This record gives sequence, structure tokens and C-alpha cells, in this order.
Amino acid sequence: MDVSNIIESLKLIKPEIAVSASLILVLIFDLIFHKDKKLIPYVALLGLFATGYFVIHQFGTTGFGFATKSTFKAFGMVTVDSFGTFFKLLILISAVLVLFFSSFSDEIKKTTDRLGEYYVLIFGMILGMFLMVSATDFLLIYLSMELLSLSSYVLAGFTKLRDRNSEASLKYVIYGSVSSGLMLFGISIIYGLTGSTNLYVINSLIQSPQINVLALSFALILVMAGMGFKISAAPFHFWTPDVYEGSPITITAFLSVASKAAGFGLLIRFIKTGFAAMTLNNGYWMLNPIFDWKLIIVILAILTMTLGNFSALWQNNLKRMLAYSSIAHAGYLLLGLAVFSNQGIAAILIYFFVYMLMNLGAFLIVMLIADKLGSEDVDDYDGLGYTSPFLGISLAVFLVSLTGLPPTAGFIGKLYIFSALIDAKMFVVAVIGVLNSVVSLYYYIRVLKHMYLVKPKIQPVEIIPGLSQKFLVLLLVVPVLFFGIYFSPIVELAKNCVVLLGF
Amino acid sequence: MTLYDIIFYLFALITIGSAMLVVTTKNIVHAAFALLLTFFGVAGIYVLLAADFLAIVQIMVYVGGILVLIIFGVMLTNKITSVEIKTGTLNVLTASIVIGVFMGLVVSIMVWTGWYSMPAPIPATTAYGLGETLISDYALIFELLAMLLLIALVGAASIARREKESL
Repeated sequence: MDVSNIIESLKLIKPEIAVSASLILVLIFDLIFHKDKKLIPYVALLGLFATGYFVIHQFGTTGFGFATKSTFKAFGMVTVDSFGTFFKLLILISAVLVLFFSSFSDEIKKTTDRLGEYYVLIFGMILGMFLMVSATDFLLIYLSMELLSLSSYVLAGFTKLRDRNSEASLKYVIYGSVSSGLMLFGISIIYGLTGSTNLYVINSLIQSPQINVLALSFALILVMAGMGFKISAAPFHFWTPDVYEGSPITITAFLSVASKAAGFGLLIRFIKTGFAAMTLNNGYWMLNPIFDWKLIIVILAILTMTLGNFSALWQNNLKRMLAYSSIAHAGYLLLGLAVFSNQGIAAILIYFFVYMLMNLGAFLIVMLIADKLGSEDVDDYDGLGYTSPFLGISLAVFLVSLTGLPPTAGFIGKLYIFSALIDAKMFVVAVIGVLNSVVSLYYYIRVLKHMYLVKPKIQPVEIIPGLSQKFLVLLLVVPVLFFGIYFSPIVELAKNCVVLLGF
Repeated sequence: MTLYDIIFYLFALITIGSAMLVVTTKNIVHAAFALLLTFFGVAGIYVLLAADFLAIVQIMVYVGGILVLIIFGVMLTNKITSVEIKTGTLNVLTASIVIGVFMGLVVSIMVWTGWYSMPAPIPATTAYGLGETLISDYALIFELLAMLLLIALVGAASIARREKESL
């Protein structure tokens, strides 16, 4: 690859460069002004806004970057298209929100000494996620996943104030290393079969008849283990409840939205680039028949949502319940993928946008309550709905939206997923999905029951959020209600963003 | 069986045997020294694959650097040699079934697959080509690795720092 090629490619990764620059800037700032850490969040916020400018600028741009000598047709390691840019925007918005959460969180306030590291590691996560959603080369896929994992391992145990923190971090490291090891093994088998790490090259090579189907399927299942770990799909979800419960709430919120979005972006691009023979005119993908992706994804989806929903029924800790609920949501999102059509992908994008708002919102309320109450147990929420009506009503909106009931945005997300399934004539799967939503109603409403109907044993505490906290909650509640009624903007945006480069 | 094969199996045996010892031994110093043999065996396999630069890096960085650090750490830490390391086994039956199936799959794939192979002359030295590839074709990967190492440093510093803030 000559220099001009590199320079051309650099123009495609401006957002990633902006993230890296902000990371280094925060690090240097932390070193110079180590006495006064008040300014660091603002520097970080500035970096995010600069990145946001480049990301928004990138909408509509398509191109391949960093092609190697061996890859024909100039297909590179990085693919920039609207699909990836949508996910980048999603990751960025949740990062900005998590930054605001962090400025309120008591847990993070107690660790002012290491505030610089906190933001540096968050930028590390963002860099990894940005590259994950645009990677089309196994080398880059693996490396960006490691970058994300490494930063989140440290952040999961960041506060070190409770034993649960270290436990979360350690469990995350162990599960993460095993799954990334399995994935690496799978990649090595695919490399051995095709002699290439580039997904475009692999796509054209695996159609030849001399490819051993058993070896390929084995390798793909191993690769799925790595990606399934990131999106916490069953049976690779065991880490999720413990890590989500033990981590600082801000990090839990970030992991449950952004990390999952990056995992889904990667998985969808991986299947589309590596295995789609062509996209038909009606938007359905024709996948190479060598590996039955549909069966695998449908099984994973059903397993994931059923396990997530039924385990959530017995949880008393709200963080843990939301962890299981996020597993269940990964199941619904996988259903959207199982359709293998542009319509399904649009449904996933819509769902993710809505999921980001409502899930971050729910975590924010849990955080605000936990800071005052010192507990995330549902029994301690008794009567809170009357003493702190603002938080109570907001949490109610988020939980109803997570269930997927109208008039909230959650309903729109589920509606598009299920209608994509019905259009693809996958009725049985759609019915299983709807039944799962019914199950989820029980544990979401149980929180509301505790807040409004259960008589408290002791006088419940009054929680009055500050003005800025109120504003942040409103920033999430209003869109959830607004997009539930007037949803055509997100639908339009999502439909414009299903442009996925590939075959 | 050619001489090449015999040498390969020898190194493979050293690697796997010592790796087993690392996991099973209850003495942490023994484990550290067994790890030395594992790294050495891997380096030998690299040499057989004509990856001379990689082999030297393996010896220099892993054996010469990281392992010496580990052994230093072990020896300088009080009482660490007398710490009882738990190497208990649970669910032996399930584990052996899963591992057995996994191993059967791996072996059958290894034997029956027509691997992609391209005959190429053995290069005199790989360092030059490696360097060139890293700053041309894999420039992005190279830079990303730098970021990864930076993150690892920051993370390590964050973990190692003593928590002094009051509750």
C-alpha cells in the first residue's frame, strides 16, 4: 500500500482520529493539572463534541479504507457507510449522556483522584467500538474488540470501594479472555481455510466447493462465541448479571447500550460482508448456503430472550433485573437480524435508538435513587412513588417503554421488529417474541407495584433531584414519549441508514 | 516422518507438557519455571516456521522480560510461596465430556480439512518484510496496537493505585 492510499484512507477515519486525539488530550491534561480535576470532564465533553462533528459530517460517505496488497478490488480493512455511522452516532450520544451521569454519580465522585483515568478509559472504549462497527478484517475486528474489552475490564472494577466491584472486574476478565480466545481460535481456522483475514476475500473464497463445511461451521461457531459475549446472547451471557450488578452504574449503563450496539454492528456487518452473496431487490439478503445462519440466529434469539426474561422474574436487585432485561432485549434485536433483510436491519436501528433512550433513562433513575437510598433493592422502593413523584413517574415511563407498550417509544421499536418478522413469514418466532414481552411485563410492573401499591414499613425517604438532574431526566423522558407518538423521524433516519456496503 | 516432523513434535511436547505443569502444580515458583519452558517451546516452533524475528522476540520479551519479572515478583513477595493455591476440580464428568467432544472435533477438522496452502521460498530474514508491512499495509493495526498498549498502561496504573479517598 503506497502513501497516497494511506492518506486517502485517513480521511475516512476522522471520527476515530478525533477520539484518539481526545484520549491523549485528556491524558496529558490529567498529567499537567493533576491538582485540580474539575476541568477534565469538560475536556472530555469537548472531545466528544468534536468527534460528533466528524461523525455527523460522515453521514452519507461511503468508502473502503486501508486496503492491503493482497486484497483485490481495493476492499480494505475499514468500511465506512451510513450503517456504521448510525451506530457511531448512537455510541457517541450514549457516551455524552454517560458523561453527564458520571458528573452526578456518587460512586464516581468518591474517586476524584483517578478521574483522569476514568475518562481516558471511556475514550478507549469508544475508540474500540467505533472501529468495531466499521471493521471488515479479522485483524481489526479482534484488535478493536480487545481495545473495548481491556478498557471495560478496568472500568467494571473502577471504584474499588466494594468487594462486588473487584468481583465484577475479575469475572469480566475471565469470561472475556475465554471468549476472545475461542474467537481467535475460530479466526485461525478460517484463515487456515482461506488464507486471508479480509471478509470480502473470505466471502468470495468460501463459495468454492473444496472448503470443508465442518471446519468452517466449527470456526464460525467459535467466532460467534466472541461476538455473542459482547452482545450478551445466551449461552454466552453468564457474565452479564454479575458484571452489571458489580460495576459502577454509569459503566453498567454504558456497557448495556454502547457496548451492545458495537457488538451488534460488528455481527451484522460480519454476516453481511462475509456471507451474503447478494441483496435481492425486495431487500432480502441471499446468504451463501454453506452455513445456516438463519437457524443459528433464530435459536440464539429465542434462547436469549427466554432465558433473560425468565431469570429477570426472580431478581430483587434492580441493577441485576435490568441486566437480565438487557439480555432479553438482545434477544429481540437478534430476531430483527434473523430476518436477514434490509427491513430487519432498519428495525434493529430503530429499536437500538429507542433502547438507548429508555435503558439509559432507567439506569439514571436507579442511580439517582441509589445515591440517596444506598440500595438498589426493590423492597426499598416501597412508597417511593408518592414521596418522589418526579422520579417515580419517570421510572414508570421508562419501564413501560422497556416492556413495549404504547404510547411509549418502546412500542414502536417492538412493532417494527415484529412486523419485519411477519413480513418474512416467520410467524412462530414472532409469536414467541410477543409471548416473551408479556412475561417481561411482570417484572417491570413489579417495580411500579412496589413504588405505588406496597405500604412501606418505614417512612420512605424523599428524593428531590437537583435542577440539572431533573433536566437530564427530562431529556430522556420526553423523547421516549415523543417518539412513541411521532416516530417518523427515527424511522426515516433508520431507513436511510441501512446502506451496508458489501455484496 | 522426516527430521522436521520429529523436531516439531519435540517442541510441541515440551510446550504442552510444561503448560500442563503450569496449570496443575501447587507451587507457584514451579509454575513460573514451567512457564519458561512453555515460552521456549513456542519459540522453537516459530523457528521451525521460519519466523526468525518472532522467535527472537518471543525469547527476548517473554523469557527475558516478562518471565523474569514474574519470578522476581514471586520471590520478592513475602509468604507467596507458602500460599495454598486451589487447583481443585469440579464436575469432572461434564468437563471431560465437553473437552472430549471439543478435542474430537478439533482433531477431525485438523485431519480432514484441505488447508489453504501456498508454497513460498523460505526468506533469509523476516524482520525487513515484517517492518515494511507494519508501516504500510497494516499501518492502522500498528497504530491501534499503540493505543491498546497506552490503554493497558493507564488501566494497570488505575488498578495498582491505592484507594485513599474516604467514604
